[in-house]
Amino acid sequence: MYTSRSHFKRANFDVNQTICWKMLSEDQCEEIFVTAVELLERSGAQVESEEARALFAAKGCWVEGDTVRIPSAKLEWAVRTAPSRITLCDRNGKRAVLMETENNHFAPYFGSEKILDRSSGEQRDITVNDVVETARLSEKLSRVSLVSAPGKPSGVNKNSAGLHAFEALLSNSTKPILQPVGNAKEAEFVAEMAAAAVGSSDKLRQNPYVVFAIQCDEPRFHDQDALGAVMFAAKSGIPFVYLNKLVSGVTAPLNTAGTLVLALANSLVALTLSQFVSAGAPFISGGQFTVFDQKNAVAPFGAPEAGLIGAGFSNLMRHLRIPSAGVYGLSDSNFSDAQAGAEFTYGILTSALAGTNVIAGGGALESGRVASAAVLAMGDEVLGNVHRIMRTFDMDEEHLARGVIDEVGPGGNYLSESHTSFYFKSEQYWPTLINRKRIDDWVDSGAKTMGTRALEYVEELLSAPAVSKLDSAVAAQLKSILAKADQTL
Amino acid sequence: MATYEQLAQEVVKGKRKLVIASTNELLQAGEAPLDIINKALVVGMSEVGVLFQQNKMFIPEVLMSAKAMEEGINIVKPLLQAGDMKSNGTVIMATVQGDLHDIGKNLVGIMLESNGFTVINAGKDVSPEQLVNMVKELKPDVLGMSAMLTTTMLHMKDTIELLKEEGIRDQVKVIIGGAPVSTDFSTEITADGFAPDALSAVGLCKRLL
Repeated sequence: MYTSRSHFKRANFDVNQTICWKMLSEDQCEEIFVTAVELLERSGAQVESEEARALFAAKGCWVEGDTVRIPSAKLEWAVRTAPSRITLCDRNGKRAVLMETENNHFAPYFGSEKILDRSSGEQRDITVNDVVETARLSEKLSRVSLVSAPGKPSGVNKNSAGLHAFEALLSNSTKPILQPVGNAKEAEFVAEMAAAAVGSSDKLRQNPYVVFAIQCDEPRFHDQDALGAVMFAAKSGIPFVYLNKLVSGVTAPLNTAGTLVLALANSLVALTLSQFVSAGAPFISGGQFTVFDQKNAVAPFGAPEAGLIGAGFSNLMRHLRIPSAGVYGLSDSNFSDAQAGAEFTYGILTSALAGTNVIAGGGALESGRVASAAVLAMGDEVLGNVHRIMRTFDMDEEHLARGVIDEVGPGGNYLSESHTSFYFKSEQYWPTLINRKRIDDWVDSGAKTMGTRALEYVEELLSAPAVSKLDSAVAAQLKSILAKADQTL
Repeated sequence: MATYEQLAQEVVKGKRKLVIASTNELLQAGEAPLDIINKALVVGMSEVGVLFQQNKMFIPEVLMSAKAMEEGINIVKPLLQAGDMKSNGTVIMATVQGDLHDIGKNLVGIMLESNGFTVINAGKDVSPEQLVNMVKELKPDVLGMSAMLTTTMLHMKDTIELLKEEGIRDQVKVIIGGAPVSTDFSTEITADGFAPDALSAVGLCKRLL
């Protein structure tokens, strides 16, 4: 066979440096988009906020009772106006997370009700100390780029529990924070605390350090509190994820295409509103999807369909040039067992390959109801493996290795070549938790399962000294904002 | 001017060109060839051994260090007086009959050489008869056998049995290694020792002689 390599110079190389799962073609994405746009123009959505309805009406949308219908041109304008990329900064203002193209960033799941106690292994309520430890652990795990609390802590004012969690995250980690907010008032307090930490609200706008997660759980129904938070975020220039939680066959059509149409329609309402409030407001389209398990009457977020629908949604957002986020990589298992390992792997693999910018499902078991520090460390390891696959390999003269192949000769070995010693650390992934020992060595080192090793690794990381704490003046300021929130909320 | 410590560190880092330059500098400064070996090159290689066992260095790096050390030795060796450098012993290294896996065995050979042993590489797929003849002819201190497969490791036993039949078993120490081999297997076939990795093999030879 003669070579058929093109005669173009390297400058025009057609490069596949990272791999990406483009499940939907551009045409398919457009088909879903026009369907959702037609749906919003024809049937609209229920908007439970008077302020939002007034704004929609003022900007030329058709409001009848609670229903808002949005003309195609407005939706298309909003999609074009929203930024295609968002940079998040750490607490010190250093640019840390680039939400653009198909970049992936990992974050712990933020919506658990319980946590697995590390010493007893039993489920119990989440405490402020658990949030502190999640922050400290996330600071040490290299693949975790955003921090979030495993859930709302108990033992504090229920209405300001999210803010207690936020203070714990702020004080114990420097990484950007993904913070769920239930309403505008809560969002205001978060913004006030974040501004105090970074210096001013102007600095916060220029170096976004916090991302709101605003939940939308119902089809074509947008509640007052969520929209209040959306409008506040847009006004203050704080990036936010509008997170669609949909279950195919229950709150969405049974099939994936229909679920994607509905999810997009939901997102477009919040997107358009945010752009009406402030053109160019940073918007992130979020998803948490699955099917319904009829046997156990649960919504299993570790199901393959969760990854499948999510991959479609991320493809769609890439097509629209809107940053994406999603709650992917959860397990339905109750423990850090083999099932959990499998579900983390395909959940993270599918969402990462599909180009989801923020994968916010770390450390969650039982479809998200239970958080676990050990499985957060497992997820970190899984993403390390996945990123190694996605990094693919280089193709220059040195990497094609003709010289060294010639030198070693038939039947030789490459172990003692300087080519090998130069590349062996960077070309392959060096696992932290994965076991590759022979059986005798594994038994000698205590015959520990992945779950046990992960737990011990977490203990080891948490026993190291904590990162630099906040400036004491800032810490005092946070406390006083928190006290104000405790009284008002 | 180069120092012994600096040369030792260049060996640890596997910097061949720097090792050559420093060795020459030390010689020009009038340092004794044997001192260059014992106070720098060997010291560096010993540190490599320690780092390897602590998982801080890995095989490709160890081999780079061994090569760097060899460059230094090659410069100094012709300047030594006869009898200056004593061999720590002679070792025959072989991959047993039916087995073609010789990477590990060669690695052991390299490590032994850089620790002052004379190594005779018998190659791969070597039958018990061939090995017994080599022992008779070359009179090594140690016979090292390697196998990668559970099927071929049984030839280690055959070789030891043949050494006994020929009445020369007590003239040579027999050590074994390879993925399927263990201390238990070594005891079972009455070998003199087993080493799980290349550097332990060096320690094992030193202990046996």
